[in-house]
Amino acid sequence: MSVTTLPHDPTRKQAHRKRRLSRPIDMAFSALGIGLAALVLWRIFNWAVLNAVWISPDGTSKVCRGISGACWAVIDVRWRLILFGLFPFEEQWRSSLACLVIVIVAILSCLPRFWRAPRLAGLWIAGFVAFYVLMAGGIFGLTSVAPEKWGGLTLTVFIYAAGMLIGMPTAIGLALLRRSTMPVIAKITGLFIDGIRSLPLITILFTAALIMPFVLPPWLLGDKIWRVVIGFSLFFAAYEAENIRSGIQALPAGQEEAAKALGLTYWQRTTRIVLPQAFRNALPPTINQFVISFKETSLIVIIGFFDVMASGKAAFGTGDWSFAWVEVYVFVALIYFVFVFSLSRYGAYLERRLRVGQH
Amino acid sequence: MKLMRMIALAGSMAMAGTAAHAQFGSTLKAVKARGFLSCTGHNGSYPGMAEVDNKGNWKGFDIDMCRAVATAIFGTAKGHLKIQPTSWEQRWPALQSGALDMVIKATGWTMSRDTELGVQFSRPYMLAAISYATHADNGAKTVKDLNGGTLCVQSGTTLERYAADDQKARGYKLEVVPFDSTEAAKAAFLSGRCDAYVDWDLQLAVMRTTEVKDPKSIVILPDVLAAEPIAIAMRQGDDQWVDIANWVESILLEAEQAGITSANVDEMRAHPPTPAIATMLGVTPGVGKRLGLKDDWAYQVIKQLGNYSEIWNRNVGQDSPYELKRGVNALVKNGGILYPLIMD
Repeated sequence: MSVTTLPHDPTRKQAHRKRRLSRPIDMAFSALGIGLAALVLWRIFNWAVLNAVWISPDGTSKVCRGISGACWAVIDVRWRLILFGLFPFEEQWRSSLACLVIVIVAILSCLPRFWRAPRLAGLWIAGFVAFYVLMAGGIFGLTSVAPEKWGGLTLTVFIYAAGMLIGMPTAIGLALLRRSTMPVIAKITGLFIDGIRSLPLITILFTAALIMPFVLPPWLLGDKIWRVVIGFSLFFAAYEAENIRSGIQALPAGQEEAAKALGLTYWQRTTRIVLPQAFRNALPPTINQFVISFKETSLIVIIGFFDVMASGKAAFGTGDWSFAWVEVYVFVALIYFVFVFSLSRYGAYLERRLRVGQH
Repeated sequence: MKLMRMIALAGSMAMAGTAAHAQFGSTLKAVKARGFLSCTGHNGSYPGMAEVDNKGNWKGFDIDMCRAVATAIFGTAKGHLKIQPTSWEQRWPALQSGALDMVIKATGWTMSRDTELGVQFSRPYMLAAISYATHADNGAKTVKDLNGGTLCVQSGTTLERYAADDQKARGYKLEVVPFDSTEAAKAAFLSGRCDAYVDWDLQLAVMRTTEVKDPKSIVILPDVLAAEPIAIAMRQGDDQWVDIANWVESILLEAEQAGITSANVDEMRAHPPTPAIATMLGVTPGVGKRLGLKDDWAYQVIKQLGNYSEIWNRNVGQDSPYELKRGVNALVKNGGILYPLIMD
């Protein structure tokens, strides 16, 4: 692969100029385009910054009467509702700490020095225990908080992290099973994957949250939040398994044959030869799947979870603030952007580090 | 969303067939053993009925009804009520599976729910009065003043039919401007495209408060085109549970009728003006036993939540941003249609 262009190519700059600014009509169109963009940006800047109201001294929407800009006061007054949902107000430090724990654990596990199975496992188990103790309480003198009060960004991050953490090993398992040499196992796994992929996520979540109580005995039921996490991770796993399988199948057959000739066992071949290379091959679609899944967490609102989207809606869903829905949505969009953009930048870093696409 | 509603409906219909009907008294027993009432919230908000304040606490008319039932059972709602955030689609399966004890969620009493879904309803605790909103500068005071004007409405809805029926019955004529969504019809009305817009009066009040610069520029006409009953939904078969729902509603109305408020209930209890009030507030023993509750249940509800008009004013009425008038939801003695049952 050598299609990369040189960054400092003087002829390229000239070519640019030639294409965009050679004739008067091109210049006019360029000027028009830039002018329009500037106008739009200026108007947005006017709305979002110059004419905006940032804080509300009395906690009501009075300061925003008759202004032409954005009313960021809604965020000033209601940000804790958006971030923590229905979590008890005095205890919200626990929710913010819990959210931080998951984010830090996620960041740490992105660092190459943690890329050992025992380290990763230890890190995540500790992370989830800390999260659960902080959120649910009931020990160490923390008052207990039932899961239906968990909400906001913390809930979104938790469902996502737990879903990915259960989903990724499941996906690897499914991918390997589907490539099994025993036709029965391969066929059944294929049927399972295709079955889940042919259902919308929303139906799976709905079934997990609402239909399961009719089917399962009470002792097997667990809390709704766990059923939903499992449904979410199965959905992720079905797609990710196919990404990984594509990574495996892209490997030349000679590799595994050579490993066999060296006398390596199945597990040695899989964990040392096949999977590391398969991951590298499957990295771009895997990052894609991670990004899509983060945004799909917003679907849990349909089964009555107070995720960051639902608590955003609740933030403007009151007589005092209902005019400020654009501001709230912009704020929630920013939160999603920060998470998704970091994910994709990390993906790009991984691709560089593992030199994906360069053999 | 249509799809989800159908799945939910199909699911709960299938379950209603197989799930055993609730036994008499079983719900109260289960709620007491569990230590809390499981009631509906919203997955977001429903202005006036279920909202969330700055501190993440629920408030609203429906929420107060949940609190009233929990207070009647436990003596206080604090620590004994779980408001479960619930989507519209989720209501019925969650009720059938026992995840909810009651659905108090701006829910209309319809025949299909009553018969096919395995749900039974309390008496309506509110009527969704279908009314017109108009621009204040029209000067219209009644629907007849709208004669010859235009009406923005989503075509094919029951609202359109109510308006047509009312025009025939009262003898006035509106030119219908049809739209394919509620939002479009509302936006057209607010921009001045039409003289009138039709909806549940609470929705009109919310629109007036939240979507126009000057709330006084929109008037809700007092004439009611139709009224849809909003009631508490419960699992079929547990009549005692329905009794509790009905009597909690009833004492809120009885208290309003007798002038008992959260402020004066202690005095009323010390010196009950009538034997009926003495019974209701538990001064004469026996009112609790009939429902499987404590004798002071009605006293606690009124003491902590107030009577019907206090709940109304706080959440949707004059002390709320929506300033909705009682209209048909007033007591019969004030020209409405709500009334308490007979306390004997």
